[in-house]
Amino acid sequence: MTFASGDLLYIAPFLVLALSGILLVLAEAFYTGKDRTALAGLTVAGALSSTVVSVALYRHLGATESRLLFTEMLVADRTGYVLTALFGVVAALAALLAPAHQRVHGWVVGEYYGILLLAASGMVLLAQAANLATVFLGVETMSIGVYVMTAMRRRSKRGNEAAMKYFLMGAFSTAFLLYGMALVYGAIGTTSLVQIQGRLVSGNLGLLTVGTFMMVAAFAFKIAAVPFHMWAPDAYEGAPTPVTAFMAAAVKAAAFAAMMRMFGQYMGGDRLPYGVIGWASPMVVLAAITITVGNIAAIRQDNIKRMLAYSSISHAGVLLVGLCAMGLGSASGKPALIYYLISYSLTTMGAFAVVAYVGSKDQERLDIDDWAGLATRHPGAALAMTLCLLSLGGMPPTGGFFAKFYVFKSAMDAQDQQLLWLTAIGVINSAISIYYYLRIVTTMYFKDPRGEIAPTRSAALAFVMVACPLVILEMGLFPNWWLSL
Amino acid sequence: MLMTIGFSHFLVLAALLFAIGTAGVLLRKNVLIIMMSIELMLNAANLTILTFARMHGDLGGHSFAMVVIAVAAAEVAVGLAIVVAIFRGRRHVDVDKMNILKH
Repeated sequence: MTFASGDLLYIAPFLVLALSGILLVLAEAFYTGKDRTALAGLTVAGALSSTVVSVALYRHLGATESRLLFTEMLVADRTGYVLTALFGVVAALAALLAPAHQRVHGWVVGEYYGILLLAASGMVLLAQAANLATVFLGVETMSIGVYVMTAMRRRSKRGNEAAMKYFLMGAFSTAFLLYGMALVYGAIGTTSLVQIQGRLVSGNLGLLTVGTFMMVAAFAFKIAAVPFHMWAPDAYEGAPTPVTAFMAAAVKAAAFAAMMRMFGQYMGGDRLPYGVIGWASPMVVLAAITITVGNIAAIRQDNIKRMLAYSSISHAGVLLVGLCAMGLGSASGKPALIYYLISYSLTTMGAFAVVAYVGSKDQERLDIDDWAGLATRHPGAALAMTLCLLSLGGMPPTGGFFAKFYVFKSAMDAQDQQLLWLTAIGVINSAISIYYYLRIVTTMYFKDPRGEIAPTRSAALAFVMVACPLVILEMGLFPNWWLSL
Repeated sequence: MLMTIGFSHFLVLAALLFAIGTAGVLLRKNVLIIMMSIELMLNAANLTILTFARMHGDLGGHSFAMVVIAVAAAEVAVGLAIVVAIFRGRRHVDVDKMNILKH
């Protein structure tokens, strides 16, 4: 066992994020000024340079090339680098949302930026993981960072409560993840996912099945799939809006990156009976109830953050459909999932940017009625929100439409009976979801304004509100390039 | 007659510890006790990993367990910080009374 220093090149996105994260935490310790905007600029620089490095490595690797790093701990391939680039972009967007929100709502905390990048480094680890140990390490690096970020409004009782609930549920699910990994390790005798893939057939079936079910349950906690979703609406509501955006977009995408590696790639395929009766059956059931319950609960919400939380739960269900399709051997599953993750993450960042914009000092304006008549006073913000909501609802010509379309198409391609009825449920629920998304749109456009709205003005925030809707429009009009990633 | 303690004993012990931890998380109301129960679950999983590592004669499992110990310590540090922040605001750490969200 030797340390291959050449492998360091392939984890450059991780190194950039981790190092700039550590430097930013140190910088905060020695920073004397009151304004933390400079730190936000450095964060964006760090996150985007990790994206640039990911893109360079993506181009450096061949289309089907896959390189195992550090004795099968990590893997470098194009899928991984697309996702690491996405995490860099989302981290940069989350850094752009923060300064104005911190200033207006009185939680100027410089550690936000360093911890943001450290959490993003955990996500990058997940996108490249090829070993149970690195999956665990990535999940925890990401989660611990996000627990801290959720608790950052220290004096806010709601923020504290959200952090406590998120932490307890997260730590509880981590224990399940670890015990599941322990059982799979016991059945097979190695933690390397590549070797696990090779020895799936010869492993102890009982241990394998129980272990995998526990890992599925643990990941269901992380992506907030029903019935493991109870923490999500509370955590999303109580966390500061930039953190909520980061949680909803990046944490979910990273958990799916890990699931794509573990279940879709290394435990998937035609390894019967394991591939089909092993993890796909509980996943199909989870997907069906997650889509449905998430949607029905979202209809009843009056708080925009809670509504977006339930909507993101239902999106996790659709992503699970894609994951099942990928694991059951549908070749179109992986591109569809990647497209969905990119479109969903950018849409979520855009929607929460508008939520952050509409709030002002001592008033977050999270109630849907507070948004009445937004279109007459702030037409740009209303238009950005409308585009994001249309994308979340899966309406053309936005990225959300093709995201759902390709995921359901890949599910049909899998030629599996279960996935057929799952697709039907998914399509029906997409129709239902239009109702509560359009409810916000009609409130913004057709109701009379109730008093003056003095929004949070900031160039960085405005940039996110313009850039995210533009990219999802571009994704919806020209999806081919994104699908070829 | 002397009974030898084999791998299965360790595995059963770990499973029992895990079950006790799970029950503790679900039944207790004090956040500190819940965190102790979660630690119990993590250590039960660690014991399982180490037993299997000895069984398979694989060093990877041992290093995995070390990683888990380090990560669990970091997690508890963050958890305790959140508990302190909660206690400052409310003077209690009872999860059943944490219900200002949702309303």
